[in-house]
Amino acid sequence: MMGKLLEVKNLQVQFDIFGAHVQAVRGVTFELNKGETLAIVGESGSGKSVTSKALMGLIPNPPGKIKEGQIVFEGKDLVANTEKDWMKLRGKDISMIFQDPMTALNPTMKVGKQIMEGLILHQHMSKSQARERAIDLLRRVGIPNPEKRVEEYPHQFSGGMRQRVVIAIALACNPKVLIADEPTTALDVTIQAQILDLMRDIQKDTGTAIILITHDLGVVANMAQRVAVMYGGKIVETGTLDEIFYNPKHPYTWGLLSSMPKLHAKTDKLQAIPGTPPDLSNPPKGCPFAPRCPYAMKVCVDQMPAYTHLSETQKAACWLQDERAPKVEPPKTIGVGGE
Amino acid sequence: MGRYVLKRIGFMIVTFFVVVTLTFIAMKMLPGTPFLNPKLDPTQRQALMHEYGLDQPLAIQYVKYIWELLQGNMGTSFQYGNEEVTTLLFQKFPVSMNLGFEAIIIGAILGTLLGIFAGLHRGKFLDWGSMIFSMLGISIPSFIFAGILQYFLGVAIPLFPVAGWEGASSHVLPVASLAVGVLAEVAIFMRTEMVEVLNQDYIVTAKAKGLSKNAVVFKHAVRNALIPVVTILGPLTAAIITGSLVIEDIFGIPGIGDQYVKSIVTNDYPMIMGTTELYAALFILTIFIVDLLYGVIDPRIRVSGGHN
Amino acid sequence: MTSANEKITNEMFQPADLAQSESEKISENVVSVWRDAMRRFFQNKGALASLVILTLIILLAIFGPYFNHYGANTQDLNKSNLPPKISALSFLPFFSGEQAGVDIYQQHNVHEDHWFGTDQLGRDLWTRTWDGTRVSLLIALIATLADVFIGVTYGGISGYFGGAVDNILQRIIEIISGIPSLILTILLILIMKPGITTITISILLTNWVPMSRIVRGEVLKFKNQEFILASTTLGASHKRVLFKHLIPNSMGMIIVNTMFSIPTAIFFEAFLSFIGLGIRDPQASLGSLINSGYEVLQLQPYQTLYPGLVLCLLLISFNLIGNGLRDALDPKLRR
Repeated sequence: MMGKLLEVKNLQVQFDIFGAHVQAVRGVTFELNKGETLAIVGESGSGKSVTSKALMGLIPNPPGKIKEGQIVFEGKDLVANTEKDWMKLRGKDISMIFQDPMTALNPTMKVGKQIMEGLILHQHMSKSQARERAIDLLRRVGIPNPEKRVEEYPHQFSGGMRQRVVIAIALACNPKVLIADEPTTALDVTIQAQILDLMRDIQKDTGTAIILITHDLGVVANMAQRVAVMYGGKIVETGTLDEIFYNPKHPYTWGLLSSMPKLHAKTDKLQAIPGTPPDLSNPPKGCPFAPRCPYAMKVCVDQMPAYTHLSETQKAACWLQDERAPKVEPPKTIGVGGE
Repeated sequence: MGRYVLKRIGFMIVTFFVVVTLTFIAMKMLPGTPFLNPKLDPTQRQALMHEYGLDQPLAIQYVKYIWELLQGNMGTSFQYGNEEVTTLLFQKFPVSMNLGFEAIIIGAILGTLLGIFAGLHRGKFLDWGSMIFSMLGISIPSFIFAGILQYFLGVAIPLFPVAGWEGASSHVLPVASLAVGVLAEVAIFMRTEMVEVLNQDYIVTAKAKGLSKNAVVFKHAVRNALIPVVTILGPLTAAIITGSLVIEDIFGIPGIGDQYVKSIVTNDYPMIMGTTELYAALFILTIFIVDLLYGVIDPRIRVSGGHN
Repeated sequence: MTSANEKITNEMFQPADLAQSESEKISENVVSVWRDAMRRFFQNKGALASLVILTLIILLAIFGPYFNHYGANTQDLNKSNLPPKISALSFLPFFSGEQAGVDIYQQHNVHEDHWFGTDQLGRDLWTRTWDGTRVSLLIALIATLADVFIGVTYGGISGYFGGAVDNILQRIIEIISGIPSLILTILLILIMKPGITTITISILLTNWVPMSRIVRGEVLKFKNQEFILASTTLGASHKRVLFKHLIPNSMGMIIVNTMFSIPTAIFFEAFLSFIGLGIRDPQASLGSLINSGYEVLQLQPYQTLYPGLVLCLLLISFNLIGNGLRDALDPKLRR
């Protein structure tokens, strides 16, 4: 690891919808080092996608806005960026891969042209240069016969092939940061593995740092070096892959790990975390997970716990780490840790 | 694609023959014959009937009628000293074409712009304003709109001639009266499409590439939003034909629409038949062209059309 | 590991007694689709105003002609072309009964008011306008019936049975919609006499086509869903599946489309009457009233104004109500 590339400090994003102020992201802090893969894990509505959009300056405003915080990229705070600054950055330094390849491509524009757009814009290539590079990129992401396919439309590609095109678009200008928002969720299981392999390969070649947004711990185990677990608009626990999988400290992380399907499990029942995520238009005072937490204490309901630093790399926001709290053992059902 | 086109041409021909046959049946079902004049004695009437082939069996009359029609012979008009229907139609049709084209082109262009504009400013004051305007545009009948324009811009403040079809200034009021409906229809449709398209994921993809707002809107959004607009060109043509009947009447324009109404009122049957067939052909052809156009500009249909 | 907050006491680290049900509670109230749609419809100011205007027009069409003793066809040439006069409102220039400063009523020695004025034959335009509105409303009713009985049934059968039935029915539709409805109507007018019967028949022939297409589309969408399969498995008849399951589920689309087909039909009648192929004098219709008004537009604009205004208000109201219903019933806009 060669030092920080991106630092997010106390990021808060709010959406004003129908008179309610939805606090989608409530003070998120994390950093991304050069060449590493950071996974942001959480269920729908935890704020992980909003966080990733904020990094691209793609929070629709109105209704959304960054209320507070900093996004420091190569020493510059992006929150202060004008739209023009963002335009120079997007697709060049920071790119994004989207969830659904069926809808992420313009249906009436040739695939090649969709890749070329960014090249012409950021690298000032001529049309023919950009076309050559587009063909290279298609070949690089594993699309056979790229000279022909560059002239085709998205509907002529299968789902997996389209996701490869989306990746090619994102990689066109050799970005320093690649944000992958649920890159495999919409794909068949067999295709998922191929796409993940491709992303790993590309990272090895180019040294791009990846922020992987997902709810799938299987994908995380495959890809990430570090993990941040989000819940209710906050990061509740963060650490290295090993720390999160083998020594998790937050009950929500326990719940996530328990809910992973396992091959050698004794029961044939899938574990679920009971309850629903908090209503972020009226966020709870205390720990957002308290209403669903089997170990909840009175303090959890009223006070948000501070981070407890468990190691150089691991920290968790949970009152159970307080010395006054009763000692609680993680459940035996935790996926990898239980083996 | 080829097979699809052939199938469509087949359907066009069938539809057209249904119209022709219906027209023929309607003429035969008319109360009485054109020669019921009591001054004619039975032998004279018989002679006339014979001369026009009206004493032959219906089937033969029908075949003869179709045969003549295929040769472009539609008989002679009762009103205009026995002038050929075809000649009259050729004389008057260009005027109506001109009026209709001006209205549809101006209406479609302005409507598209207004729709893009409203869609981009969704929920804002400008969006509301243009949508209220469009709502009035599709609701107010062209013959009332024509009256309003005629009264205010022709009579109260005489900026433009209230009638006639000579010189550019005489085109303003009738074209505006016809175009406003087209404009409104296209604007509402275009706005809906824009709002829909702007919410699509590929718009985010385009933004994420670093494209400017203008590039996103015009290269990605507008093109996708415009494609479905082509589909309403068919109904719009029908609306323009309908509209031209009244607009030509109100503004005294010597076109085919005005002629049609006069023919109906005066029972000029050959003229009615000829105009009906011309309108039907025009309408059927427009729908056909629109379908083809849609296939050409939408890549998704262009390819799959080949398999159908 | 010390907490910044001093107020935290040891006893706060007792387990909290959160009822399990608390976390499973659904935070928002469950609202039925229809009630939700109603709520959103009534929030739409344009649609609500239109509903009020429409109600007013319907009431006036029913009771308006009885507000005075003039008949719709009572001619009095002495009273021809009188401008509108409402004595109680005579301070307003357009209800003063004056034209170019001259009190026309005094000139003709008329002592009664004509609220909308009179036409060339001295007939009361208030009475004739509302009489004509009745025609438009009758057309609206006929269009609705055509949509619901012909359009829904035709589309429902075509979509539900599919295969050869669908194929034949759709080819027929293709031919009907390939001919402009104006031409069909004109052919019909040639055979029959112009009038309300002819217009009714032409509406019954053409107006339901868009509706049948929409219903067919809806039925095709629902046909293969589980609840229909379940019903069929339980032995429900075709009729039952179609009319108790498929069509009720398409109700939103049916209502919205009916609302949009009404102004089309009203316009069509007014248009035909305007060009003299619909309802003809002495019977009144908004279209024919506007046409007669046009002959004297430059001198007596009010003769066009009032029937024109009523016609426009009718068309705008139906369109806005249709818009309001569409937005209210659109599941994409639900929150």
